[in-house]
Amino acid sequence: MYEYDAIVVGAGLSGLRVAIELAEHYEVAVLSKVHPLRSHSVAAQGGINAAMSENDSWESHAFDTVKGSDYLADQDVVEVLTKNAPLAVIENERWGTAFSRTEDGKIAQRPFGGAAFPRTCYAADRTGHNLLHTTYEQALRHGVQFFDEWFVTSLVRQGDRIGGVTALDIATGAIHGFAARAVVIATGGFGRVYGHSTNALINTGDGCAIALRAGVPLKDMEFVQFHPTTLYGSSILITEGARGEGGYLLNKDNERFMKRYAPDKMELAPRDIVARAIRTEVLEGRGFEGQYVHLDLRHLGAEKIKERLPGIREICMHFAGIDPIEEPIPVLPGQHYSMGGIDCNVHGETVLKGLYAVGEAACMSVHGANRLGGNSLLETLVFGRLVGQAVSKYLEAAPKPQAAPVDEAAFTVRQDLQHLLMHDRGETPAQLREIMQHVMDEMVGVFRTKKELETALREIRVVKKRFVNVSLGRSDERFNYALVRTLELRNMLDLAESIILGALSREESRGAHWRLDFPHRDDERFLKHTLITKTDDTFSVSYKDVNLGKFEVKERSY
Amino acid sequence: MLFRVARSRSGEKISHYDLYKVDVKKGMTVLDALFQIQNYMDPSLSFRYSCRGAVCGSCAMLINKVPRLACRTQILELADTKVKLKPFLALTEAPLGWNPESEVLVEPLPNLPILKDLIVDMAPFFDALKQLELWVVPKEGTEPRKQSPEERKLIDRYVNCILCGLCYGSCPVNAEHKEYLGPAALAKSWRFYQDTRIEERERYLQAALAPNGAPLCDLVMNCVRVCPKDVAPGGAIRRIKQSGSS
Ligand SMILES: Cc1cc2nc3c(=O)[nH]c(=O)nc-3n(C[C@H](O)[C@H](O)[C@H](O)COP(=O)(O)OP(=O)(O)OC[C@H]3O[C@@H](n4cnc5c(N)ncnc54)[C@H](O)[C@@H]3O)c2cc1C
Ligand code: SF4
Ligand code: FES
Repeated sequence: MYEYDAIVVGAGLSGLRVAIELAEHYEVAVLSKVHPLRSHSVAAQGGINAAMSENDSWESHAFDTVKGSDYLADQDVVEVLTKNAPLAVIENERWGTAFSRTEDGKIAQRPFGGAAFPRTCYAADRTGHNLLHTTYEQALRHGVQFFDEWFVTSLVRQGDRIGGVTALDIATGAIHGFAARAVVIATGGFGRVYGHSTNALINTGDGCAIALRAGVPLKDMEFVQFHPTTLYGSSILITEGARGEGGYLLNKDNERFMKRYAPDKMELAPRDIVARAIRTEVLEGRGFEGQYVHLDLRHLGAEKIKERLPGIREICMHFAGIDPIEEPIPVLPGQHYSMGGIDCNVHGETVLKGLYAVGEAACMSVHGANRLGGNSLLETLVFGRLVGQAVSKYLEAAPKPQAAPVDEAAFTVRQDLQHLLMHDRGETPAQLREIMQHVMDEMVGVFRTKKELETALREIRVVKKRFVNVSLGRSDERFNYALVRTLELRNMLDLAESIILGALSREESRGAHWRLDFPHRDDERFLKHTLITKTDDTFSVSYKDVNLGKFEVKERSY
Repeated sequence: MLFRVARSRSGEKISHYDLYKVDVKKGMTVLDALFQIQNYMDPSLSFRYSCRGAVCGSCAMLINKVPRLACRTQILELADTKVKLKPFLALTEAPLGWNPESEVLVEPLPNLPILKDLIVDMAPFFDALKQLELWVVPKEGTEPRKQSPEERKLIDRYVNCILCGLCYGSCPVNAEHKEYLGPAALAKSWRFYQDTRIEERERYLQAALAPNGAPLCDLVMNCVRVCPKDVAPGGAIRRIKQSGSS
C-alpha cells in the first residue's frame, strides 16, 4: 500500500496545476492512466480567455460567460474565473508558454464565439499543447511524483470522508491501494460516451463514474456541448479559431446560412447556436451528401492560414486529404465538451469530505448550459491553483487515513476484476461500446425529444444488463488494454444513463440542451442544476438552485 | 489487407509475428486497424493510443520499417509514401516472409526497451528532460513578458515537438549508444536557448553540449525525415555543435 497526503487523479492541465500547488508542502502523487503529456489537454487548439486588452474587463468576460451559459452558470464561480484569468495566463507565459504575439510584442488575442472582445490568447492553433508541455515542465521542476499508466478503479471511503483510491498498475496488472487524506479528481471529460466526438479516446469519464459510485452526485449531465465544426469522417476538431480568423460556413447552395440564425454574430455566435444551425441546414436538405456543410477558409489566403492555423491545415491534409488553402473543409457538429460533472463548489469541495474535483471532470459550475470556447483551458489553470490551495488548507487539520479500508477496497477490486476476466463466453465489450455510442449519437444529440430519450434510456439499460456477461477473451495480465477499455465502458454506461436521465427530466430548451417538444427556456421550473445520485443500482434526479448574482436573467439572443 | 504484427509477451525482444486480416476502408489508419484486431480478433494485443489526431505522441511505432504515428498513417497510402532513412539493424532486419507489397508490418519503436508487443519503455527518452532540466525557472513578476513575432519565430519549430520519440527511434546513434540523449531533448534545449524571454539561456546550451549530447550526433538527419511536426531536430543539433565550437 502507498501513502500520501494527497492523491491527484489525472495529469491534464488541471491535475498538474493542483499538484504544483501542493508539491512544496505536502507529499503528493499524481496518478494518470497515460503519460501526462498524452492527456487530452494537449489537443486543445483555439486558445484561453482572459480580459487583458485595454477596453476589456473581467465584468465583460463574466457577463459573456453567464449569458453564454444561458444563465445556468453560478455567478460567484464565474466571477472567480474571470477575475483570475489574466493571472493564469501570465503565470503560464512566465513559465515559458510560447503564445502568439502582436507586432508590439504583447500576447495576441483572437475573437471567439459569444465574446464581446477578442480576448482569446493563443499559441497558433496549438494552445493546449503549449500550455500542457509548459505546465508539465513546471511539475517536473517541483519534483511532483508521477504514477504514469496507472488506472484508478475506485474511491475508498472512510466513514464520512475520503480515505484514498485503488488503482490498476497497467504495466503489471496488479491492483494497489493508495491511502490519502485528500483526493482530487481531475480526470477530464467523458466525450467517448458518444461515437462522433472530438475527444481523445481516453476521455471516458472514469473519475465522474467512480465518484458517482462512491455516493457523490453528478451535476448538469444533460448539458453536452456539440462543437459545430468537426471534420467529416474522423470527427477531429476544427477549432473555432478558424471562424475567429474569418472562416465562412456555407451550405450546398453556397450560402452563408448563419445570417438566418444569428444575423449579428454570424459564424461567431455561441457553439450551441451554430451547431443547431448546421444540423437544421442538413435536416432541411441543404447539406452536402445529406451530412455536412463547408467551412471555407480560402479567402483568408495561404499566408494567414499557415501562420494562424497550421495545425488545422495539417489535420485536413492528413485526415481528409484536402488543403484548406485550396478547398473548403467538410464539417459537421460532434460531441465536444462535458459541461456536467462532479457536483462541487467554488473550492472544488464535494459532499464527501476530502474529495475534490477540478477541470472538465468537475461541475462548479462556470459553463452552465453552454461553455464559451476558450473558457475551459482557463478553468483548468485558474481552479487548478485555487483547488490546490483549498486542499492545502484542508490538509492542515485532516486526520491521517487508515490502512484497513484501503486494503479492503483493493481486495474487493481484485475480486471484481478476476470475476470479470473469468467469463469465457459472452459478448465482446467492443460490440456493447458500439451500441452505446450509436444510441447516444442518434438519440441524445443536438436535438432531443421525449420519445427518443425514453428509447435511449431503455437501450442503455439493456446494454448494462448485457454487460454483466461480457467476455474479454484471453489476454495477459501485463498491459491488458482489453481490460482497461472494458472498465472504461462500464464507467461510461453509468454516465450515459445519467446524461439521458438529466435530459429526460429537463423539460425545456436551454443552451446545448434542446428539446424539440419543449422549445422554450422555462426559468420557472428549470433555472436549476440537475443532480444525479446513484444508490445501489438506482439513479435518482433532484435539483439545486443556481447562484445568481449581478447579471439579471434575460432572454438570450445574438 | 494483411497485418504482420510484432509480438512480445514478456518484453525485451520481439518473440514472433502474428498475421491478421483486416478489412480496410478508405480513410482507415493503422491505429484503426490495431483497434479492429484488439476488439474482434485478439484482445491480448497491446499498444498505446490517446488522441487519435496526431497531437499526443502516444502511438509512435515502426510501420513498414519507418517510425511513424499509427493514428496518422493512412493504410491505403502506405505503398506510396517512401521515406529514405540511413539504415541500422532494426530498420533492415525484416521478419521472414514479409511481403511489403501485400502486408503492413507493424513493430515497436526501435532503440527503446520493449515492454510488451508494441509498447516500449519511454523512460530513457523522457529522463533526458529531467537530466537537462528542460524547464524555465521563473522570475518573480506579475506582467507578461514582451516578445516580438520575430523572436517568437525563432522557437516556433521547436515548441511544436510533441515528444513522440519517433526521432529517437529513427536515430542510428541512439541505436548504438544507450546514453545518447537523442534528438528531441537536444532540440528542446535549443528551444530554450533561443527563447529571448529567458535570462539564463546559456545553461541550456551547455547542457546540450554534454558528452552524451550533441557531440555524439553524426548529423545523419533521420530525425528530420521522420518528425511528424517538422521540428527538424537535426538542424537544432547542428547549430548547437556550431555554437559549442565557436
Ligand atoms: C479537440 C479539443 C480542443 C479543445 N480546444 C480548447 C480550446 O481551444 N480552449 C479551451 O478553453 N478548451 C478547449 N478544449 C477543452 C479543454 O481542452 C479541456 O476541457 C481541458 O483540457 C480538460 O483538462 P483536464 O485537466 O480537466 O483533463 P484532461 O486534460 O482530459 O486530463 C485528464 C487526465 O485524467 C487522467 N485519467 C482519466 N481517467 C483516469 C483513471 N481512471 N485513472 C487515472 N487517470 C485517469 C488522464 O490520463 C489524463 O491525465 C478542447 C477540447 C477538445 C476535445
Ligand atoms: S522532434 Fe519530432 S519526432 Fe522527435 S519527439 Fe519531437 S515531434 Fe517527435
Ligand atoms: S494517438 Fe495521439 S499521436 Fe497518435
